[in-house]
Amino acid sequence: MTTPQIYLRVPANPGFVSLLRTTVGAFAAHEHYTLEQIDDLRMAAEEAAVQLLRRSTGDRLTLEMSADEQQMQVRLTVSVTPGGPVIDPESFSWTILQALADDLDLHDGRGSSSVTLSKHRTVGAEFVA
Amino acid sequence: MTTYTRDDTKLLFARLRETDDPGVREELTKLHLPLVEYLAKRFKDRGEPLDDLIQVGSVGLLKAIDRFDLGRGVEFSTYATPTIVGELKRYFRDKGWAVRVPRRLQELSLRLNKVVAQLTQELGRSPTVPEIAKYAGVSEEEVLEALESGQAYSTSSLDAPSTSEDDDSDLRVDRMGETDVALDNLEYFASLAPLIAELPERERTILYLRFFKGMTQSRIAEHVGISQMHVSRLLTRILDFLRSGMNGEAHY
Repeated sequence: MTTPQIYLRVPANPGFVSLLRTTVGAFAAHEHYTLEQIDDLRMAAEEAAVQLLRRSTGDRLTLEMSADEQQMQVRLTVSVTPGGPVIDPESFSWTILQALADDLDLHDGRGSSSVTLSKHRTVGAEFVA
Repeated sequence: MTTYTRDDTKLLFARLRETDDPGVREELTKLHLPLVEYLAKRFKDRGEPLDDLIQVGSVGLLKAIDRFDLGRGVEFSTYATPTIVGELKRYFRDKGWAVRVPRRLQELSLRLNKVVAQLTQELGRSPTVPEIAKYAGVSEEEVLEALESGQAYSTSSLDAPSTSEDDDSDLRVDRMGETDVALDNLEYFASLAPLIAELPERERTILYLRFFKGMTQSRIAEHVGISQMHVSRLLTRILDFLRSGMNGEAHY
């Protein structure tokens, strides 16, 4: 069984956030996620993108998505100059992301930061490959 | 065009409440379109096509039709006027961030709102896009398009009538007692406090229930007495507002 994967690279510019949002929503819909989950994922992707862009020092933002029987994963990555977490775990943003994603992971690597969101599949809304 | 008479209106409303027949609703809409046109013309010098204004005003008319209570002894036109004008005003207020949405999509959004509510009840969970498409007899693409446009369009224009018609307004105010708790939680984020204070009470409650209590949109919808899609739009709008507010820009 194939697990679909999507990769999208856009300019690191707030003007592209709505494109990311739409893409995430369309993929979640395609994967038979429920309306509320689609909405959560869109909102979370937007919030994560906005936060990442505030710290971005590069010229691109990448979106990677994948889905399998259990869950869907969305990862957003930008280039940053090292120093401090991109999203403060004490912040309102983090609270929002936690409420919207089933799992949430923040990765501050050397020169790049990423946020990974995942959403578990709802029982009754079946997997399509 | 049908001539506007008060007796017809009363008769039609009595029939609508009894049968919930969409045909009757349509007839009532047609009958009062001249009122919408009249009110829309008042706003015609603000640079928006009159057709669009009439469309916006019609949304107000539909709301008024759904909410009008024959027993109150008020003429429908008297009752509907502030609702229609309110819708027009909101349209201009929201212009700053709203994107023009084709009529076809607005109508589809309006319809999907109801389909989603029905399916949510039948399935006991939020529906998927294929499920909505099948039920509504449109393509998945159209559903997605309508959902996206719903997000862009004025927050409450596509509002469905409250699911619990008999909902006592006092009761609803009572529920808002939660707002105090909400405020305590939200004010933990000092930078947000002044922005949150600017939000209407209902929006504050929704924000709190979704992000701090982890309540689903459908449950919030039930709780507050609006549709799930409306909750979705409000949440998006609230987050937008908080983001732009933190940059010192917007007003809710």
